[in-house]
Amino acid sequence: MNSIRFSYLVLVLMPVSGSFMTAEKKHNLEPQYWVERYGDYLFNYAVVRVNDQEKAEDLVQDTFLSALKAKDNFLGKSSERTWLISILKRKVIDLYRKRYSSRESSLAEYEQNISDGEFYRNEKPFKGHWLDGKGPHSHSLMPEGELEQEELMEIIRLCISNLPSSLASVFVMKMIDESESAEICKEMGITSSNLWVMLHRARLKMRQCVESKWLK
Amino acid sequence: MVKRALHSMMIFMSNRMIACDEASYLISYKSDHRLGFKKWWSLKIHLLTCHLCRKYNHQIEQLNLAVKRYSDNCAAGTCSHHLSTKTSIKIQQAVTHELNAN
Repeated sequence: MNSIRFSYLVLVLMPVSGSFMTAEKKHNLEPQYWVERYGDYLFNYAVVRVNDQEKAEDLVQDTFLSALKAKDNFLGKSSERTWLISILKRKVIDLYRKRYSSRESSLAEYEQNISDGEFYRNEKPFKGHWLDGKGPHSHSLMPEGELEQEELMEIIRLCISNLPSSLASVFVMKMIDESESAEICKEMGITSSNLWVMLHRARLKMRQCVESKWLK
Repeated sequence: MVKRALHSMMIFMSNRMIACDEASYLISYKSDHRLGFKKWWSLKIHLLTCHLCRKYNHQIEQLNLAVKRYSDNCAAGTCSHHLSTKTSIKIQQAVTHELNAN
């Protein structure tokens, strides 16, 4: 019984130890083909996250140039594309940070108070109720079963780009990058309750924007 | 006995009454978290009484799905963003220049 178990273990471990022994690079860099192969892919990634064509183009170029400078650090474990994306990702986060810190007031703006005059009533008997026209109109945001439509994707893109930049960056990090909340808080230097309030604001605005665009 | 139980339940419910601002916050909060019992209960009670927030709840669920679909589409590369030929030539030139400089 023991010997059977042992031989099974050997069988399982063999491929693993084999890959340790041949620790050479699996992937090599070919910078001359980068733009042709990954240009669109990186650009796509950047546009979705920064919502600005020009900024995205600059980011792609920056990424290629920094990658060239750092090409000795490339270990060859991941593919070229993954490596380039990881560099671009850092650059996008740096941009978010810059945007966020350039507006000192932004933290005060998103204080923990979830109620603001933009969406809810402020006067006493109905305090906290939806303002007329600011709440939802119809039951469905979009016709059921039409999630796939290109039109809807276009509306989502447009509405994300209409969000104020600090809300947009948090929303994209959470919903599109699916980053951990703790990570977002660390990158942006905000508390978790700030984060929930910001996400809430972003959803309020997104909902309103998608509804109004779709009704048109 | 039953009366007293009902009464304490009413008090419990009224203590937990929230307005739409808090309810909509909880609706957004619950797309990323599990709500604790108190929060879950107060939201449930609010949704029973408020048709606007019921709509809001449904719409936010749809919005989350739609954004998820959007991000999946883009990850699969079917987003319609392409570098313009002019820009890709510009970037190619910058890369080549940098390559030759090394």
